[in-house]
Amino acid sequence: MSNKKDKVTDRASEFARNIWLAGVGAYGRAVDEAQSSLKKATPQPPKLFRELVKAGAALEAEANEATASARASVEERIAQVRENFHLQRTARIEDLQVLHAKIDALTTTVESLSAQLAALQSASTPRRKSAAPKKKAPAVKKATAAKKAPAKKAPTRQVAKKKAATAKPKAKASSGKA
Amino acid sequence: MKTRDRILHTSLALFNQEGEEHTTTIDIANELDISPGNLYYHFKGKDQIIAELYHQYHTALSSTLQAPVQAPLSEDSRNVEQNWYYLYVLLEEMYQYRFLYHNLANLLQRYPDIRRQFRRLVALKHTALHAICETLMQQAVLDTGAEQLHGLVENLTLQLTFWLSYDQLLHENRPPYITIHQGVLQLLAMVAPYLGDDQLAFYRDCQDIYANMLANQD
Repeated sequence: MSNKKDKVTDRASEFARNIWLAGVGAYGRAVDEAQSSLKKATPQPPKLFRELVKAGAALEAEANEATASARASVEERIAQVRENFHLQRTARIEDLQVLHAKIDALTTTVESLSAQLAALQSASTPRRKSAAPKKKAPAVKKATAAKKAPAKKAPTRQVAKKKAATAKPKAKASSGKA
Repeated sequence: MKTRDRILHTSLALFNQEGEEHTTTIDIANELDISPGNLYYHFKGKDQIIAELYHQYHTALSSTLQAPVQAPLSEDSRNVEQNWYYLYVLLEEMYQYRFLYHNLANLLQRYPDIRRQFRRLVALKHTALHAICETLMQQAVLDTGAEQLHGLVENLTLQLTFWLSYDQLLHENRPPYITIHQGVLQLLAMVAPYLGDDQLAFYRDCQDIYANMLANQD
């Protein structure tokens, strides 16, 4: 009886063991599968990830481009408005100062040119009366003196022009005489 | 121009002139000299046209509003005026789609989709104005505390949102340049108390130009 009993318990324990083994096997298999799929998965995600990164980078570049062009268009329009605004507003002291500076520059150019002209003409007419160059010299000096006083720019320019204009016929006349 | 674009263009002009509520798709088709069926082929109704126009407006204005948020418009206190010119740009853009603002509450009630987006647009206006004011504070152009700044930006946003309805209410059909200039002047008037004497020059110019415009209007 004990033998039979043993047999029964043996069978029972064997059965239990089998169940246990099956459980382990399933577990192992699950682990294996998980590992293999993990192995399979590991090369995949970077690829997917890389693609996503690539796509993201492309989109970012596109977005940057769009914002850059938007920014450029805003700046362009600001420039247009500024121009419009300057046309509409009344002149300020600074604007006048800018104009003064321009007139100053023009005056000096005119003076140096007329001086050069005078020098050339006096060089081409060496036998001219000595009185003529003396007259011209003070005129240039006056112009330079006026230049130093910044208040009366516009008149200075006219004076300088007039002097240059009057100097020419005189020089012509003297050359004609010679 | 494609028919679809022509429809949008004409619709915008009609909405701005006659008001969105009183304009029907028939009016739009008549104005374009096309059949209502042709219009229907492109847009299934006025709702679609308005949705498309709003989308255009939203895209354009948000990209403009982004500019001062991304980078300051002025590098230092010398070219602060860039910020004021920017306001003109902003208001001109809004003026192009002024029909939206003429009866704003009514329009937003009828188009819930637009209402949601419009809220975002107002928030973006707030952000842009805040960015401008903060930059100006850093550049020592604006002299104000954080609390006042908050209130100031809030008021500027309010003005920037309802300036058109206010102008329409008081002076119907003024020439566009006066409306836009007046809007900018109002915005500047809010900032002016916090500006130093140097920076007030621009504000005074603005006032002079406005006075000139009014004098030459008739």
